[in-house]
Amino acid sequence: MRNADRLCLVHLWVAFAAFAVAAALGTWQMWVRSPLGANTGTPGQYFIAVTAHGVSMAYVLSTFFIMGFGYFVATTSLGRPLPSAIWAWIGFFMGVIGVIMAIIPIFGGSASVLFTFYPPLTGSPFFYIGLVLVVVASWIWCVLMIFAMTGWKRENPGKPVPLAMFATVANAIMWIWTTAGVAVELLFQVIPASLGLVQTIDVGLSRTLFSWTLHAIVYFWLIPAYIAFYTMAPRAAGGRLYSDAMGRLTFILFLIYSLPVGMHHLMMDPEHGNGTKFIQMFLTVFVTVPTLLTIFTITASFEIAGRLRGGRGVFGWIYALPWDRPMVLATGLAFVMLGFGGFGGIVNNGYGMNAMVHNTSWVTAHFHLIFGGSVVIMYFAIAYEIWPALTRREHPSLAPLRLQLWLWFIGMMIMTLPWHWLGLQGQWRRVANFNYNDPIISGWGPWVIASFVGGLVLLASAVLLIRNLVVLHRSERRFVPHPIYTLAIHPVRSVPAALNGFGIWNALLVVLMIASYALPIGQFFVAPSPGAMVHRLMDTAQ
Amino acid sequence: MSEQSRNPPSADRAWRIWASAAAAAVLFLGVVLGVLIIPVIQGRGAGLNAYTSICRSLGILPGSPAQRQPPTVTPAAPVSQVVWTPDVLQILARADTSKGRATVQDVCFACHGENGVAVSADYPNLNGQSGAALYKQLSDYRTGSRQHEQMSGIAQAIDESVLPDLAAYYAGQPKRRPALVSGPVAILRLIKLGDPNRNIPPCRACHRAEAGGPIETPTLNEQVHIYFVRQLQAFASGQRRNDVYGRMRLIAEQLSSAEIEGLARYYAAGQD
Repeated sequence: MRNADRLCLVHLWVAFAAFAVAAALGTWQMWVRSPLGANTGTPGQYFIAVTAHGVSMAYVLSTFFIMGFGYFVATTSLGRPLPSAIWAWIGFFMGVIGVIMAIIPIFGGSASVLFTFYPPLTGSPFFYIGLVLVVVASWIWCVLMIFAMTGWKRENPGKPVPLAMFATVANAIMWIWTTAGVAVELLFQVIPASLGLVQTIDVGLSRTLFSWTLHAIVYFWLIPAYIAFYTMAPRAAGGRLYSDAMGRLTFILFLIYSLPVGMHHLMMDPEHGNGTKFIQMFLTVFVTVPTLLTIFTITASFEIAGRLRGGRGVFGWIYALPWDRPMVLATGLAFVMLGFGGFGGIVNNGYGMNAMVHNTSWVTAHFHLIFGGSVVIMYFAIAYEIWPALTRREHPSLAPLRLQLWLWFIGMMIMTLPWHWLGLQGQWRRVANFNYNDPIISGWGPWVIASFVGGLVLLASAVLLIRNLVVLHRSERRFVPHPIYTLAIHPVRSVPAALNGFGIWNALLVVLMIASYALPIGQFFVAPSPGAMVHRLMDTAQ
Repeated sequence: MSEQSRNPPSADRAWRIWASAAAAAVLFLGVVLGVLIIPVIQGRGAGLNAYTSICRSLGILPGSPAQRQPPTVTPAAPVSQVVWTPDVLQILARADTSKGRATVQDVCFACHGENGVAVSADYPNLNGQSGAALYKQLSDYRTGSRQHEQMSGIAQAIDESVLPDLAAYYAGQPKRRPALVSGPVAILRLIKLGDPNRNIPPCRACHRAEAGGPIETPTLNEQVHIYFVRQLQAFASGQRRNDVYGRMRLIAEQLSSAEIEGLARYYAAGQD
């Protein structure tokens, strides 16, 4: 096995190992919150589980998957080795050490602060330092991705960077921007507090810094799914990409409009003025543009494939598509979930409607549907697509792969739709249990049980995913090399420099970030607010 | 024709100009709407002038541009005068236990014993108690937030500067028994899990050392049985009300006599 292949595989296996553990914890959490498992385990145990679930899914699964996939894209789409395999391995081991450092205090009960931290709650410093190591490891990845692209551009002057790599670098640049907020929060506020060096935390500032990270991080998770939509799904469907330029524009728009918008997570916070909230809410609306561009472009690409396969009429091409191929199936299912989740997201972004759903289960359901649903199902599809190339073995059968994707889709819909409904009824989030004897809350019971059933289906799908990957490793079918990336209908021979690099977009992003965050962050230094007493949470395991 | 000549610099310049113009237009529109038009219109409805509305929309002045601030604010009467600030914590951290010992030998020992073990079942044990908890209760006795026929007068007679020293002295006295591990199932359940059906949180969520509860939370292990019962009864009846946010009053009023008795027995035996 080539070194680069091994590098990709170890990243992906760490990601999916964390995913499997987190899926089991998530199902347990759904059970104890339902009337069926009410009062099982202590609240302390519940919050350990929630923290472990969140950290595993949001930081370990996503970061390791994206790093592994990025290395794959860099080596396969550019056709040249990584700028430094040694640094890539250093990044991997640094990330693994970070994960171990974070996991030990979580399961020891001294870091039950959830993956979003919530200062002035502070847990063990090892938890935060471990997560910082994971972030630093991912920065190594970012630098390698940027060097890979610039190195290729030097060797191929004037040629357009392959779309998959262009998007990967867009994600790497966005991630560097994104992590600045949380890095400052952790290094200058939370870690000093957890070490006992300071006794108070300016919570308004820490929440604002985290909002800097909080929305764009979602797009960091999401972009691999979009890379698959643009560069893998049309080929898998037997067609071609409708527009390469549209893809580049989409990833650029994600880069510049995912960052100056995080304050829509703080709509109900008192520390910011309505006007500054409005500006970021307004910019958030533009995040829908790349998603709508993508739905149009990929649907058009699929229509081309469907018609090439003999589909006729307005909808006939849909039936003609090869839905038995995992990548095509996953794309279709992801689009359905993206539809529901996207509309839910537009609700979240409206100030008035946000007031209704704020801190309710609606929000939890929303991010499970978007990330856990649309994005993660594409992680599965990508894994199924690239794993044969990495292991030089073929899947013995595609049926279990399709079953796994269907189970994930069905489970996610059954889990999240009632969850949204519960949020509209006012069910609060971040609690360990509900008092089902209360006449109002008792009506929630059946909906929570339905969500739990969805969780069981998801767990079955998670187990099947691991089984499918293990079976592939043992498969005796030899890999038949084939192209992975889609060609565009109109071959891309050259693109404007603006669509082949990120200079202008980084400059615009600086302007937008200053406009969005200079006053909201600056106010804490001009007129410091009283600090909140650090609330040290040392042990909730008992 | 070379690859690059298909996109002459003018094309790139056009991209740069139009992209910048589009981003600037979006930003301009957001600022004009969010900081000028909407707040000024909202402020007019609320009887605010344009300048105030704009400053409020930017967060420079407090309040919403859509509402007048309430003309008067009635301050809530705090149940305790103790405020936990870094300064107070510093004072507690720097307390002088030798000064505390002197006062104990002079005043406190008659009821609470020199090492914090009460001389009769009527008084609480103070050995190994949380220093912050002791400081808060002494302060509350001084200010009248908590009342007791003997302690109110005694706490007022003691120099205020000695309170942290006293608290630190008793906090440093050792507990006597190692923790036991058993107890009736229903009581253990209340301690570890609470009772969600009555909105009762687990006792351990706050009353265990380093549990992460409010700083003034006392430890309960080895507490005198009858003192423990009386305090829960006083919280339940509202006679004692120096618990911030009424936390203990909300819990105690829902506990049955048998549960109070069971908890008192459990904690008197030494568990935490």
